[in-house]
Amino acid sequence: MTKAYPAAVPFFLFASLVSPSTFGQGAPALDVTDFSGVWEEVIHEDNYERSGGPPLGDYQGIPLNDAGRMKADSHDHSEWSLPEFQCRPHSAPYQWRALGSVRFWNEVDPIGRDLTAIHIEYLRSLDRVIYMDGRPHPPEWAPHSWSGFSTGKWEGNTLAVTTTHIKGSYLRRNGASFSDKATMMEYIDRHGDILTVTMILTDPVWLEEPLIQTTNYRLNLHTALTYYPCTVSEENISKAIPHFLPGETQQLKDAAGWIPMQAARGGAASTYPEYRLQLRQAQVNTLSPARMPGNAKLSPSVLAASPKHSDEEIHVMPVQGNVYMLVGAGGNIAASIGKDGILLADSGKAEMATKVLQTVLRVATSVAASPAPNKCLGMHCPDSPYRWSSPSLAAVIASPAAAKPVRYILNTSADPDHAGGNGRLAELPSDTKILGVTFPPVGVAPSATIIAHENVLTRMSAASKDSGGKDKTAFPSADWPTDSYRDASYKLSEFFNGEGVQMFHEPAAHTDGDSLVFFRYSDVIAAGDILRTDSYPMIDLEKGGSINGVLNALNHILEIAIPEFRSQGGTLIIPGHGRLCDTGDVANYRNMVAIIRDRIQALIQKGMTLDQVKAAKPTMDYDGLYGSTSGEWTTDQFVEAVYRSLKR
Amino acid sequence: MRLGAMLGAGFWLATAGGVYAHHSLAATYESDKEVTLDGKIAEILLRNPHSFLQIDAPDEAGAMQRWSLEWRSSGQLGQQGIRRDTLKIGDEVVITMNPSRTAADHRGALKTLHRKSDGFGWGNKPGETID
Repeated sequence: MTKAYPAAVPFFLFASLVSPSTFGQGAPALDVTDFSGVWEEVIHEDNYERSGGPPLGDYQGIPLNDAGRMKADSHDHSEWSLPEFQCRPHSAPYQWRALGSVRFWNEVDPIGRDLTAIHIEYLRSLDRVIYMDGRPHPPEWAPHSWSGFSTGKWEGNTLAVTTTHIKGSYLRRNGASFSDKATMMEYIDRHGDILTVTMILTDPVWLEEPLIQTTNYRLNLHTALTYYPCTVSEENISKAIPHFLPGETQQLKDAAGWIPMQAARGGAASTYPEYRLQLRQAQVNTLSPARMPGNAKLSPSVLAASPKHSDEEIHVMPVQGNVYMLVGAGGNIAASIGKDGILLADSGKAEMATKVLQTVLRVATSVAASPAPNKCLGMHCPDSPYRWSSPSLAAVIASPAAAKPVRYILNTSADPDHAGGNGRLAELPSDTKILGVTFPPVGVAPSATIIAHENVLTRMSAASKDSGGKDKTAFPSADWPTDSYRDASYKLSEFFNGEGVQMFHEPAAHTDGDSLVFFRYSDVIAAGDILRTDSYPMIDLEKGGSINGVLNALNHILEIAIPEFRSQGGTLIIPGHGRLCDTGDVANYRNMVAIIRDRIQALIQKGMTLDQVKAAKPTMDYDGLYGSTSGEWTTDQFVEAVYRSLKR
Repeated sequence: MRLGAMLGAGFWLATAGGVYAHHSLAATYESDKEVTLDGKIAEILLRNPHSFLQIDAPDEAGAMQRWSLEWRSSGQLGQQGIRRDTLKIGDEVVITMNPSRTAADHRGALKTLHRKSDGFGWGNKPGETID
């Protein structure tokens, strides 16, 4: 050994001199893990979850709370034969345990070579992007997707991924579900050719503890993902929304005989190894009455978890095409902004009108009034408006034109939080200056045209009394529609910002004057309070609303809207309140409304009074998503409205 | 025996993934019940994630119904020789199926198919299943 040592010294010295890193030209040592490649699933204990999945009614190992159990028990698998469900992909939380390979690839900055994103592609499902560039997660009003929005960071060689904005979907293909308030952490490790994904799913609505799963994959150098299209078929199911009424589920018979029934009911306790021993000691093999749907209580913390927007500011979300969603004015506002000016679907609360106007003019100045970027030089500019007189320089020094004004306001209803800003946004003093622009510009009509269904005009102009007993109208005359329609639909007589805009009357829905506003080229629908993601539908019986009218209107949205791919994206729907939606969200909301309608109808048929119906908690599984015990629209008010609507 | 088991497992691994794309057949249909229908093919929908064969046939009460029969994906059927011109509208067939768990729905998971005119069949050879 000692004789060999002197001989080794010059070898290592030489090696160090000629190694690329010595000259600063080689790759630095990789201090993170490269997951690139195609990985195939390695099925271990999770075989139970694969292929056809566990029997119906078997929720063992899933920490369902009582609301989650009620949701699962009401699941009829025929729901997946609805047109809006057939082509849904597995969502990100479920996907790891679905059959099929997964491909990782890295996206790097072409200059700095920084890892900016890790892409994950699945067989038969949607791709995911894990952003590694430090960007924040979107605001609460951003749309959700089946993959969610993911950001990653390194914890040693482990990739830690945080995912939000996931659409609610299934944990098992037997009805056990998570809600769209769920968030997910994933820890992804590589040990040679083995990939291990540890998933921790937290759902304040349907889980009493986080669901933790690990899944393994093995690197495969000789495989590839294939194209896997999906086409919706007519599957011959009945026209109703498939579900089981509380206490009438047929799921439990499948799980019976497979494992002890109490274990099949799931819950946090069933996720721990000692649970088997507890079961043996208790010698229980029957369904605990405390676990039956309708007998359980929802944790108040779940109700409190519903986010509410309340910073008194107007937030802008570009939707698609000409359309922007304005959040924070009361009801959401859809704004078409372009070369013809501004069209608003709804105007928000009266007290927010000035902020709304400032916001839309700022956006209009930015996107429609600024000079176009100078993208041509020399002989490539034959169509330049500046002709031969230094067109390039003239384009560079141009200043933005004045923003064009609000020319149309289309109201989805007569609610003060949707139509209260009509007058202030439509009728402005000629000397009003906003962002330094005198308003209205010369040659433009001094007020916007306000259009709504005639029942909106009737309600806004209805006689009323002020606090002193003097005669007044429900809304100031400046807020009233200047044009109204009374047929099933109404079209703007000409294109606005390059597209047709159409209103559809939805009779007896939220009220008797509801309209959908459809931007036909941008492919965006402003739904008003027919759809809202922050509460149950507000059904104003006194103003002609009805539960079945809401369902008809939601079905009408789904009839018009088309998804981009796999029940996601495509036609986007701006709800009256809450986050931006697509067909997948509307279908989930429609099913919820139909299921609760059917439950209350069944209780009425049993002869129950309103108080008895409320006591039966027909909304319990959805209260964590849409319920409220205070505010302008409580769960009790919703149940009462449905009850009275069905009794009519 | 061991070879047979390995082949069987290999087949399952190769095909099971494509079968359960949008819903679980076991959760949708009564796998322990079998119904026979005698009717005419009305529609052939070869597609992913599942194909559908629709036939006009009488129900138990004798009333004519349109039945929707869920089948394998178009790619898997193609590997088994079922192509777009294999069956034709109007072909008289006898089929067996696992019926829907919802009795009011006229549909099922196709188990076997027999064409009367020439005896063509599906569902009796190894691998010709959608379970």
